[in-house]
Amino acid sequence: MNDTVTAQTRKFMTNRLLQRKQMLIDILHPRKATAPKTEIREKLAKMCKTTPDVISVFGFRIHFGGGKTTGFGMLYDSLDYAKKNELKHRLARHGLYEKEKTSRKVKEVRGIAKANVGAGKKPKE
Amino acid sequence: MMRQVILKHALLESEPSSAAEDLCDRGKSCKYERSPTCKTFFSCPQTGRSEECRGVIGAVSQRHTVHIKREVLESDLPSAVTLLKNLQEQVMAITAQVQSLTQKVQAGAYPTEKGLSFLEVKDQLLLMYLMDLTHLILDKASGGSLQGHDGVLRLVEIRTVLEKLRPLDQKLKYQIDKLVKTAVTGSLSENDPLRFKPHPSNMMSKLSSEDEEEDEVEDGQSEASGKKSVKGVSKKYVPPRLVPVHYDETEAEREKKRLERAKRRALSSSVIRELKEQYSDAPEEIRDARHPHVTHQSQEDQHRINYEESMMVRLSVSKREKGRRKRADVMSSQLHSLTHFSDISALTGGTSHLDEDQNPIKKRKKIPKKGRKKKGQ
Repeated sequence: MNDTVTAQTRKFMTNRLLQRKQMLIDILHPRKATAPKTEIREKLAKMCKTTPDVISVFGFRIHFGGGKTTGFGMLYDSLDYAKKNELKHRLARHGLYEKEKTSRKVKEVRGIAKANVGAGKKPKE
Repeated sequence: MMRQVILKHALLESEPSSAAEDLCDRGKSCKYERSPTCKTFFSCPQTGRSEECRGVIGAVSQRHTVHIKREVLESDLPSAVTLLKNLQEQVMAITAQVQSLTQKVQAGAYPTEKGLSFLEVKDQLLLMYLMDLTHLILDKASGGSLQGHDGVLRLVEIRTVLEKLRPLDQKLKYQIDKLVKTAVTGSLSENDPLRFKPHPSNMMSKLSSEDEEEDEVEDGQSEASGKKSVKGVSKKYVPPRLVPVHYDETEAEREKKRLERAKRRALSSSVIRELKEQYSDAPEEIRDARHPHVTHQSQEDQHRINYEESMMVRLSVSKREKGRRKRADVMSSQLHSLTHFSDISALTGGTSHLDEDQNPIKKRKKIPKKGRKKKGQ
């Protein structure tokens, strides 16, 4: 028995305001675990005849008993729009965005320097 | 022949003032010309039969209607007299009242410049309505007809406006009542929610020293945010985030509510339902219904799925939700109902051993503190 992973789309909607197409993705994968997101992006790119870098998928949940997974997918009109409208953490997953790591510690200030510190504000260093 | 006799009898009894030309020549023998316009039927008061007037327009019908009218008048006469007497008395009383009221108004005892304009409009409209109505009554009482009278149109207009004002009245009722009560008692009532509004004047600090700022940073976390004050005069005012709400519920009420809920749940349990079936006369129904908790949970799940799919987000599930889902799954299994009975302690008077989340209530044992000195030693 050849078990292949199939992807189907539901609730397809064109969102002109954010220059993208959004949809629900149903993956059927009997007797297998959920496919990784990169594979799903490739599959979707082949289906919609675009490159996988304008596609972002997220929110995959497997149904009880296995075999079927449902998630969301967004297909942007171009890479520029994707960089503008997509959420930063999803861009970071594709390597298109780097977040600066800031320390949450407060440098202790004593004496007169404390007056220069605004009430309730913590300096970021 | 009989007919002619009866009619003649009727005619003779009627008023003698009518001229002979008025009479329908029905009294004569057959074949009268049927007047095409006169097709009125009337019932003869003597015989009670309905007969068609075949004569001159309205001639016989006039005769008969006059006859009928007279009978009606005679029966109504005594009641009319008493009513007129009543009317006279009432009119005298009302005129006295109205005169005193007009005197007061003219003397300026009711100033309305600072009042609600809505009520003023209503007053004026009602007065105009009364005036038009009295005018109409006057016309009608002096024998005129109201057909096409201007006053009728004016009355209708005023009436429609009053009808449209009525829902506004309903909406303003609470405000007006409160204003009147405040005006009468001189201050707000005790339960008025307006008493709990925030007072910005209490929040502006008079001092702005360093020490205060220090204290503020330390105490700021422990203080309730509703009482946040102590910003210097030059600092930006941050309004409190709490909206004061009148908190009424006492411990006893909470306990009562909990008991109510437990009772309702117990009443819908399988034990009670089976008892009901046993003692009721209704035919036994066999349904494919699942436990209500299970159906409710599945409905909620469906609702959540719909929301997630339409908003394209994933919602987080709290521990309580997870527990409920698991319990619903357990309950939907077929053998669960064989061994598990619902808790009906609310009906039997005992205390429940499970709390709201079906977790067993733990009894706390009193542990003596270390170093506690025993009595007498």
